[in-house]
Amino acid sequence: MNRFPEQKPNRYDALVILVVLALALLCAARFWLAPTDGAAEVVVRADGAEIDRLPLADAERTYQNNGYTLRIAVTAESVRVTQADCPTQDCVHTGRISRQGQSIVCLPARIVITVEGTGAAPYDAIAG
Amino acid sequence: MRFTTKQLTLCALLAALALALSYVEGMFPAPLPLPGVKLGLANIVTLFALCALGAPYALAILLVRVLLGAMFAGNASALLYSLLGGLAALGVMALLVRAKRLSVYGVSIGGAAAHQCGQVAAAIVTLGSLAPLAYLPALLVVSVFTGALTGFVTGMLLGNRFLKNVAE
Ligand SMILES: [Zn+2]
Repeated sequence: MNRFPEQKPNRYDALVILVVLALALLCAARFWLAPTDGAAEVVVRADGAEIDRLPLADAERTYQNNGYTLRIAVTAESVRVTQADCPTQDCVHTGRISRQGQSIVCLPARIVITVEGTGAAPYDAIAG
Repeated sequence: MRFTTKQLTLCALLAALALALSYVEGMFPAPLPLPGVKLGLANIVTLFALCALGAPYALAILLVRVLLGAMFAGNASALLYSLLGGLAALGVMALLVRAKRLSVYGVSIGGAAAHQCGQVAAAIVTLGSLAPLAYLPALLVVSVFTGALTGFVTGMLLGNRFLKNVAE
C-alpha cells in the first residue's frame, strides 16, 4: 500500500525550503549581477524574433502580433506598455522597466519588450 | 491500472475538485504579471491522489483536469502552462514521497517549486525567449508559501479517515 508522508514538518523539509530558496537566489543573481553594457536601449521581439530596437528617448510605438495590439511609451529612463487589448493586461500591469535585463512580457501577443545594453543581448532568442 | 468502482468514483471526484480549484485560483490575480501563472492550488489534489492512490492515478487525474480546464477556458496556451506545471509538480512530488524522509510539507513545497519551474518553462517555450526566467526567483519564493499551504491542506485530507477508507 502507498505510504502516507508524515504530517508534522521535520528538518528534511527545511532542506527542501533551503534548496528552493538557493535556486531562487541563483536565478536572481543571474539578473542582478548581469553586467550593464553601454547605453540602454529597448528591444522588442515578437514570437522570439526582433521586430524593433529603439533608444531610451521619448517615443510611442504600436506593435501588432498574434491578433493583439500593444502600445508602448518610451522615456529617457524607462519603457512601459500604455495600452493593450490582451485579455489579462499583465503587460500593462508590469509598469515601467528601466534596468538592463528587465523585460515586459505579453504572452497573448507573444511580445517581449526588453531593456538591453547596446553592447550585447542578455537574452538570445531560442532558435526554432 | 485497474479501477474498482470506488476508486473510479474517487478519481472522478478528485478530478472535478482539481478543476474547481484551478477555476477558483483563476479568479485571483496571478502572483506575478505573467499570464497563465497559477498558484498551484490543484497540487493539493495531485499530492493527495499520489499518496492515497498512487502515481498512475494521480497522473490520470492531472491529465483530465488539464484537458478539461483548457477546454473550459478555451485557451490553448493555458494548456501548456498547466500541463508542464502539473507534470513537473507530479514528477518531483513522486520522487520526494519515495525519499520517505520528508513530511507532507516538504513534498508539497518541492512540488510547488517544480510547478512554477514548469510554468516558466512553458512561457519560455511559448515566447521563444528566456525573458520569463526573470520571474522565476519571485515565483520560487512564493512557492514556499503556497507549498506550505497546500501541504497543510493535503495533510488534513490524508488524515481524514473517510477518504482513507474510500482510497483503500
Ligand atoms: Zn498583454
